[in-house]
Amino acid sequence: MKTSGNMRIQLSSLCVFIAVVCLTAGLPALQSCTKSGITEEGTSKPTTLIIRFENMVDTLPLVLDTMKYKNLADDYYKVTDLQYFVSNVTLHRDDGIVYRALNNDGIHYVDARIPSTLYWTINASVPPGTFDSISFTFGLNAEMNYSYRFLNPPERDMNWPEILGGGYHYIKMNLSWRKSGMNRAYPFNFHLGIGQIYKGNIINPDSIEGYVQNFFNVNLPASAFSISQGQVRLLVLTMNINSWFNGENEFDFAKYQNMMMQNQNAMHNACLNGKNAFAVRFTSGGK
Amino acid sequence: MRSWITGYGIALFLLLATMAGCKKDSQDPATTKATPYLIRIPKYFPTELNIPPDNPMTVEGVELGRYLFYDGRLSGRNGPDSLMSCSTCHVQAHSFVCGIGNPRFPGGHPHGLTGILTPHFMLPMINLVWVNNGYLWNGSLSPANPLKAKRRLEDMCWMAIVAPHEIAGDTSRSRALIQGIEGYPGLFEKAFGSNTVTVKNMGRAIAQFVRTLISSNSKFDRFLEGKDQLSEKERKGYVLFMTETGGDCFHCHGGEGNPLFTTNLFYNNGLDSVFADPNDRYGFTGNHKDVGVYVAPTLRNVAFTAPYMHDGRFKSLEEVIDFYSSGVVWSPSISTLMHHVSTRGVQLTPSQKSDLKDFILTLTDSSFVTNTEFSRPPRLPGEK
Repeated sequence: MKTSGNMRIQLSSLCVFIAVVCLTAGLPALQSCTKSGITEEGTSKPTTLIIRFENMVDTLPLVLDTMKYKNLADDYYKVTDLQYFVSNVTLHRDDGIVYRALNNDGIHYVDARIPSTLYWTINASVPPGTFDSISFTFGLNAEMNYSYRFLNPPERDMNWPEILGGGYHYIKMNLSWRKSGMNRAYPFNFHLGIGQIYKGNIINPDSIEGYVQNFFNVNLPASAFSISQGQVRLLVLTMNINSWFNGENEFDFAKYQNMMMQNQNAMHNACLNGKNAFAVRFTSGGK
Repeated sequence: MRSWITGYGIALFLLLATMAGCKKDSQDPATTKATPYLIRIPKYFPTELNIPPDNPMTVEGVELGRYLFYDGRLSGRNGPDSLMSCSTCHVQAHSFVCGIGNPRFPGGHPHGLTGILTPHFMLPMINLVWVNNGYLWNGSLSPANPLKAKRRLEDMCWMAIVAPHEIAGDTSRSRALIQGIEGYPGLFEKAFGSNTVTVKNMGRAIAQFVRTLISSNSKFDRFLEGKDQLSEKERKGYVLFMTETGGDCFHCHGGEGNPLFTTNLFYNNGLDSVFADPNDRYGFTGNHKDVGVYVAPTLRNVAFTAPYMHDGRFKSLEEVIDFYSSGVVWSPSISTLMHHVSTRGVQLTPSQKSDLKDFILTLTDSSFVTNTEFSRPPRLPGEK
């Protein structure tokens, strides 16, 4: 019997969640591992927020490599790779105080093929209390987005060419699509990152006159929640892939010749749509 | 239910691993006397190395591995016509492929001692210490392999000894012959703490040596470090390499952000529309998306590694560039990164092809193919 090469990493989301929770529970063990071997006592349990990244197509969970999705342009499509960065997750309190997640320098990489990336544990330092809302940056802001930041895969493979602005892809979504009635599906690389301004609008890398930061901030609606001392809360951050195509700027794959890294107009339109692709929910006890 | 058990299993493993970190000494007693071999990580290269905990790099292990790599008696035979070692096919001058001009292997297609051709042409042995997705064209030598003995670089030794298209021998004979050669038992003692030769330790030593085969001194490396300049043609080729509207090479083959010049990932690059190779990635995974899929090889030192592709169909870089320019064909499993397939390729002009080739040749690291630390030792154990 053949075995999938990805079998080892394709554990169910539930398994990974259990592992993440148990690892979180095990963190005190790590922290109490002293040189003398004596366990310190009296440390309180950390207040922990776990973000689970849920990739959807409207109401359906994304299943990779499956040609069953359709956008408003009447294109059928399947997604083969979905990788993106979320950064600067910020919890806002009504008194104006904000808490910013700093784990991994405040950057999290999501890869639909790597279940462990679908969870981000913000542990040990979330202040208990009630928060009005949550915001984050989709991609990496200009300060964070510099080349050679990530030397190891998988994040390394998000690198964005220096000539095109450098840094990293905000999102790399590879898909193939076909019109109704077409018998062949053709690839489309939905890649977002720093855009370029070309002299005379002629796409020639030697005529780049400037660059455009395409990252954007998302203020999640209905994201108020409370968390008490020592509590572990699970926040589900949902991204609706169809929202990238079906927003105020209908996204027609054929229009952009199957690529967009050097098409600022396409990236701009995608970003306008993408701002509305996210929602949040709490699995239990949410305000 | 099973997934719950698996989940708890992972959690338990992580907790145990956490607790294990409290132990003062987790070193393998057999290797404590050997001298640690430190790999210098070149600038911009990945910092995470694929070195298994049970086979740490040591000076003595690397030295032994180098001897074995070049010793034809690894075949378990003494006859001059029956000698075969790793280096028989893995020739340093060709970045450790056999090379298209190799008189022993016409066309650059290696065969074993009995004349059976290998299923695929060769992949270069460059920077394998950074491969973490599986070795071989289909990545089957990986932790995902259901056969426990075919998961690591260390396993290549016994696999090569028994493979009909390679040494076509048996491990007992090879082990016994090496054991009986003056000098080897002492080298095993120094490397692994026992003078008894084992196939396992033979594999460990060779793997250690192979992990030292690092290339990071090409013109492009020096350019990245600000120590060299690209010519205008090379610069134009570099831009083509790194842009979607140009050659669009970088997504699979890296670039300044990934100086390995491969992602070490697997793709159907549009060579064919029908596939019959039982050893493609589909042959390993059984997943239809992997039909016609192979690893993207590093482009470092491609000047030395012709012919190209898993089946050696392209004899020159010009042929490869022509293929990506206008020869790409569609199939259901074609990689979604091959988005130029609708126009049969990236459609380069003759001058662009020339520029792109010039850039790719800046990835040539001649010091790698002449480095005496990678060469055949002046004298092997037991040699007069």
